[in-house]
Amino acid sequence: MNVDDWLRTLTAELHQRRVAADAARHVVAEVATHLREGGGDPLVVFGPPQQYAGAVVESIGTAPGPRPGPVRLHAEGITKRYRRRPVLRDATLTVRAGQIAAVIGANGCGKSTFLRICAGLVSPDAGEVTVSGRLGYCPQSGGTADFLLADEHFVLVGAGQGVARGPARRAGRAAARQLGWEAGGDVQARHLSGGTRQKLNLTMSTLSRPDVLLLDEPYQGFDQGTYVNFWDQLCRLRDAGTAIVVVTHLLNQLDRVDTVLDLTPAQTTGWHAPGVRGGHS
Amino acid sequence: MNRLVTVAEMTLRELLRRRGVLLLLLLMPLTFYLIRRDAYLGQSVRSLLLGVGWAVSTAALFATTAARELEPRLRLAGYRPHHLYLGRMLGLWTVGVVISVPFFLLPMIDGADLRYGGLAAAMLCSVGVAAPFGMLIGALLPRELEGTLLLLTVVTVQMLIDPAGSGARLTPFWSSREIATWAVDHTDQGYLARGVLHGVVVTALLALSVAAVASVRLRRRRHLRHLSIG
Repeated sequence: MNVDDWLRTLTAELHQRRVAADAARHVVAEVATHLREGGGDPLVVFGPPQQYAGAVVESIGTAPGPRPGPVRLHAEGITKRYRRRPVLRDATLTVRAGQIAAVIGANGCGKSTFLRICAGLVSPDAGEVTVSGRLGYCPQSGGTADFLLADEHFVLVGAGQGVARGPARRAGRAAARQLGWEAGGDVQARHLSGGTRQKLNLTMSTLSRPDVLLLDEPYQGFDQGTYVNFWDQLCRLRDAGTAIVVVTHLLNQLDRVDTVLDLTPAQTTGWHAPGVRGGHS
Repeated sequence: MNRLVTVAEMTLRELLRRRGVLLLLLLMPLTFYLIRRDAYLGQSVRSLLLGVGWAVSTAALFATTAARELEPRLRLAGYRPHHLYLGRMLGLWTVGVVISVPFFLLPMIDGADLRYGGLAAAMLCSVGVAAPFGMLIGALLPRELEGTLLLLTVVTVQMLIDPAGSGARLTPFWSSREIATWAVDHTDQGYLARGVLHGVVVTALLALSVAAVASVRLRRRRHLRHLSIG
């Protein structure tokens, strides 16, 4: 990891841990000066950026997070069986504006099904979902058109909201840039790498400025830098008041989220954040 | 209207970029025409029309299958089901008409003595029926292989069935065959009238079926309640 990468990761970490923007800028500027004047490998001098960010938070604290807003998504008593096999039992989740909820659990425990039910793409056997505002959904894979360019995807999604072509293209490119991707170009979606295609997928879901954003493991194929940018963008969206639900199996990200729904059968994580009532009985 | 046109445009763009598929689409009716060219001209023209119908149905099937994952998220992005299926149909009809032009000119260049207005009407019927027919199969069968095999079966039946028998009227491309008979054999107007009526009715029925399937698949689910904010 070179100095620039290390500093970028540190910046994202401080942002995600809600260190006040001015304080974070100050810390990064000081560290950058130190590294450039003193030289040396940042991993040796300061340790991993995540660890250093943790030390900074302990030392200077964090800015008070914005108070959670009104409820944007409320899923109550969601039950689903495939044939006779129960997949979800009485799963309940409430997410407010400005919150990130993580849906976790073992493979096949119904995480994607739960998200598709919340998006209204699959009907549950029991339960109901209330969504306030506009809904955005990013599937785990697929959801793009092989023979269309990125710009054409943006135009297609934009037209659904009545957005003209030019602004839709510009908005798509700007959102893609947040993930470290320059989307303009004449590359068809089928020729994009797996990770870049997922960036397109993710960009499409945020393009309509949703109030509730549902993300089904959208980071598959992301490299480390993009992964950091991804969480950075999620935090920005959260701070702007979006309610976000992200399916994940990466437990190391759970300290970044406000609410966790564990769908692992007959097991509890030991931590049920407010608004969560577990997935399986 | 803008949403409809955007979906139609993107369908066109996608199909035009599938160069291999386009080439095969053009090759198929040509082969159908040439293979019967030494025999009776009527058979040759009827095979050509069937080839156009098969080609456009196949394109419609592929376009529908490819859009299966994309459509639900477009629905969430603000599209209504009719924007999606009508837009796609519009794009496919446009592609069908474009690829029909060289095949309309082919018998002309070949020096065939035909009623060319009839040939144009038969081609329009063939394209008109083929787009919703392929889309319906694509909507009902999730995998391209099954859909292609079903299309192949229908076209084979269409080719082998006795056109004068009552069962032939149940086949989707009977209209173009009937109009082609009027155009090639200079038969009475009844052939043209029956053919046009059949083409219009079948196209309407297939389009309604596509609408019904799309409306069910992309419906708003009862468990989801939307509240507006601000």
